[in-house]
Amino acid sequence: MVSLRSPEMYTPVTQSLLRSMRALRLGLLLGFRQIQRASLWTTLLIIFVMMFTFLNLIAVSGILVGLIVGSERAVREISLGDIVMSPRDDEDNILETPTILREIGTYPEVIAYSARYTDSGVLEANYSERRDLSAERDIASVRVTGVDIEREDTMTGLRSYIVDGEYLDPNEEGQILIGVYYIEEYAQQFGDIFETVEGISPGSTVRLTNGSISKEFTVKGIVQSKVDEINLNTFIPEREFRRLFGRNDQNADQIVMRLVTPETNSEMKQTLLDAGFGPYAKIQTFEESLPKFLIDIKNTFNLLGTFIGSIGIIVASITIFIIIFINALSRRRHIGILKGIGVETHAIEIAYVLQAAFYALIGSLLGALLTYGFLIPYFDANPIKFPFSDGILVAPPEETFYKFLILFGITLIAGYLPAKLITRQNTLNAILGRK
Amino acid sequence: MLSLGENDMNDTFIITAKNIHRSFTSGDLVTHVLRGIDVSVRTGEFVAIMGKSGAGKSTLMYQLSVLDRPTDGSLRIDGADVLSLSESEQTRFRLNTLGYVFQDYALVPDLSARENVMVPLLMRGMSWEEAKHKSDTAIDDVGLKGKYRNLPSQLSGGEQQRVAIARAIAGSPKIIFADEPTANLDSISGKAIIELLDCLHRNGQTIVMVTHEEEYAAGCDRIIFMEDGLVVREKKQS
Repeated sequence: MVSLRSPEMYTPVTQSLLRSMRALRLGLLLGFRQIQRASLWTTLLIIFVMMFTFLNLIAVSGILVGLIVGSERAVREISLGDIVMSPRDDEDNILETPTILREIGTYPEVIAYSARYTDSGVLEANYSERRDLSAERDIASVRVTGVDIEREDTMTGLRSYIVDGEYLDPNEEGQILIGVYYIEEYAQQFGDIFETVEGISPGSTVRLTNGSISKEFTVKGIVQSKVDEINLNTFIPEREFRRLFGRNDQNADQIVMRLVTPETNSEMKQTLLDAGFGPYAKIQTFEESLPKFLIDIKNTFNLLGTFIGSIGIIVASITIFIIIFINALSRRRHIGILKGIGVETHAIEIAYVLQAAFYALIGSLLGALLTYGFLIPYFDANPIKFPFSDGILVAPPEETFYKFLILFGITLIAGYLPAKLITRQNTLNAILGRK
Repeated sequence: MLSLGENDMNDTFIITAKNIHRSFTSGDLVTHVLRGIDVSVRTGEFVAIMGKSGAGKSTLMYQLSVLDRPTDGSLRIDGADVLSLSESEQTRFRLNTLGYVFQDYALVPDLSARENVMVPLLMRGMSWEEAKHKSDTAIDDVGLKGKYRNLPSQLSGGEQQRVAIARAIAGSPKIIFADEPTANLDSISGKAIIELLDCLHRNGQTIVMVTHEEEYAAGCDRIIFMEDGLVVREKKQS
């Protein structure tokens, strides 16, 4: 005896809900058993396809964005730090620089800081060998940065970017570091993009001119990094900068800070504003100081990666569609029989959707394991070397989760549609194998 | 001992089909397979439909078992005008009222014998445990005790057909439709299946069976002979 309550005891909505729940339960049983009894190799192949689809979705945009993030990371590490102070829009320099520096030095959150004085000058090389005064001079317009040698090294590790020669010595006068893009031998790969001087190496003598004032420097070292602020720069001690450029007020052009906990730079910015530095300088977090074009490029790369990933999703959904379609088509007769004995089509559809969900879930899980367990640590340890940055793989978990949801949703649809196509066929035709 | 149905053998008709027509159209060609058939089946009756190949016996059974919709005619089963039901209502009607035994067993290959029998029971809303218990009882009743976990591929043809019968009877349907249930079986297995159906009938089960072997129809209450889409003769048996 079937111990069921009479359907009349329930409202139509409840009856419909109960039927849906029964269909769900039976669909899960049918789907689970189909997965369980399916060919192992076929299942592995489908999961493999789904895993690569997931990787395509995550890794392509992750690498593209990683190029920019790698570049940002390099700028943060080598140049700007966590907090950047620059002149207010209505000022040429940071006002009250010595007071600000004294104050900054007392904050325990700040582990390093450096004040920079920048201007442009003309760098001339090979002038002592020049016999013909009508011949073209070997000159280049350069950016000159005056720094506290020790503080700058503590802040950015400038010493570690010396590719030839040595770092500046605080006890010596008349020494200069030159970025590689100002030296022909290093910059020739870029054609004529940069103004360069030739034949420069440590020990060479160069002349730096600002207006009518010139000073001779000995090249102490040549610096190179992933950041143009180093490659397209010359560094001299700040006291010599002030003398050469007549900056006697000691007001800097940039003050950069590195914090104990970089993530708290917004709080630190607020602390500095609360301390009353706002009227003297524009205070920005690293993120705020990034040029807009960099953010635009990052967004564009993200979009590009998503676009490429979307093609992967379309391919995967078509693959799933075909797999489920063939699967359902080959079981068309059984589907007909199930309908014939009274199984609702929803239950049968759920069985196929469950299969699609299983493939998407396992494929994505494996893809996520590979991404977070191997690829990200690998690219962090072995970044892709690009001229402007060390490319890493960027895959924020929340973004990955959203992309997984998209992949999962589309896979479910790709699993549902073919099942729907087959189950809507005439029951008797399906049972008899008629078209 | 089968623990089936409580259907009392009486004179009420559980199936009343009047003027059933079924034709198939392919382009301009219209094939009339059933040409106005009147059939009634009493509660508890065991009816065999016989005829030569192409006579329309299977087509008639598909109409009577609500697997197909006649081109014309009326059909009442267990008091319900089944032709007025929507497709989903017909599905529910089949689930709750009818049981099926197909020629080639029609078991789901991925499910065990027990699960195959459980499918319609779960769809009817039984709990897992209740469906399992009923399924095991039905499998025991058809003589396959202990083969609950076997997949169809691990069973012989005769055993698969027994599972199909277990699936048909587990929900205590009002009528069982059997479409040439012995066609794919050897004579020994075929006889065993017929004996099983006969046993169900003796317990009051209404059965409509299509067969082309007179030997298997011998135990039926009535044999309906068909030819060219028409009922040409009926033979009542004691």
